[in-house]
Amino acid sequence: MKFRQDKHTIGEDEERSLRDDVRRLAGTERPPQDPPDAYWQNLLIRSNARIDAASSGRALSISWALRVALPGVIAIVSFLIGLHYYVPEVPKEDFSVAAVVLSLPAATIDSLLVDPSPVDPSLSVAELGVDLFDLSRDQIVDYLLTAGNASAAVEGLTEGERSELLAALGTNRQ
Amino acid sequence: MALTDPLSDIELVQEVRNGKRQAYTELMRRYQKRVYWVARRIVGNHDDADDVVQETFVKAYLALGDFRGEAGFFTWVYRIAVNLALNAVRKRQVMNYLRESELLSNLLPSPEDPSAGVEAEELDSAVRRAIDILPEKQKAVFVLRYYEELSYEEIAVILKTSVGGLKANYFHALRKVQDYLRNEIQAGQTHDRRGRGAVAPG
Repeated sequence: MKFRQDKHTIGEDEERSLRDDVRRLAGTERPPQDPPDAYWQNLLIRSNARIDAASSGRALSISWALRVALPGVIAIVSFLIGLHYYVPEVPKEDFSVAAVVLSLPAATIDSLLVDPSPVDPSLSVAELGVDLFDLSRDQIVDYLLTAGNASAAVEGLTEGERSELLAALGTNRQ
Repeated sequence: MALTDPLSDIELVQEVRNGKRQAYTELMRRYQKRVYWVARRIVGNHDDADDVVQETFVKAYLALGDFRGEAGFFTWVYRIAVNLALNAVRKRQVMNYLRESELLSNLLPSPEDPSAGVEAEELDSAVRRAIDILPEKQKAVFVLRYYEELSYEEIAVILKTSVGGLKANYFHALRKVQDYLRNEIQAGQTHDRRGRGAVAPG
């Protein structure tokens, strides 16, 4: 069951009567003593000192913000903006053919078959405009024969080429 | 030569805003006693009241830019003082709780310790103890109405509440204090009778 909350408000007479009764009941008690005059003067001094300390603390923090924190933040933000927009552009390196070839392992260089005559080592890969590794079948066969690997060269021949080769060898024998 | 009238509170506030610190000292001089007694009646002891007064004037000084003058300066300062005093009471209650739970028994002075700054006269005051048991709002209303004799309208501005609610709170506060004092007196009389009975020759 719920009870209504007591919303009693006090009338002037009722308040006066109640207050007088409380004063009468408390009347026998000695009220707390008022501090001496010197205390009030001293309190003024101490309050002023505390205000000085508090306001100088605030002034210090404002001064600190202006002298240290704000420039610091501006410097950091400027640095980040600079980093974002003004990163020095690294020019694209245009490697020369010689540099590319020399960067390869020795075994790979051996496997390359490049006709050096049209290729000036000073030319860049871009200037050359060819894929160094896109070799023709004839170049590969020539390389294999030059390197003494005839069987590998024969493996790379077509049936027709093999017949033609055998016929030529037969002619030579005859 | 005509004597110049003392400046009003608002004029003094304006002077402070114009950089005349001496004007604020004058404002403090005007209200420090009243602020002290409001604080002391709420917190119940001199040391805490002393601290509340100083803190009140520091806060008021630092917030003087926010003071618009809609309410009187003293009403505004009272509001700060009452809030700080109630905070001090809460802090003391927490400290007492911790002390009772012996969490800080080795770190805090016991209430019986003279260095705790509690004056004997306050410990003996039944009204003081009665105010102590009041809830926060009733405590503030009781002090501002019973001791300071402020109008309900002024108290409503200070405590930011309605006049109707204040009247109800004050009524309950008066009744509680009245009951407490009656019980105290009755208990005292019973104690006296027993005391006399004990020493009377049989």
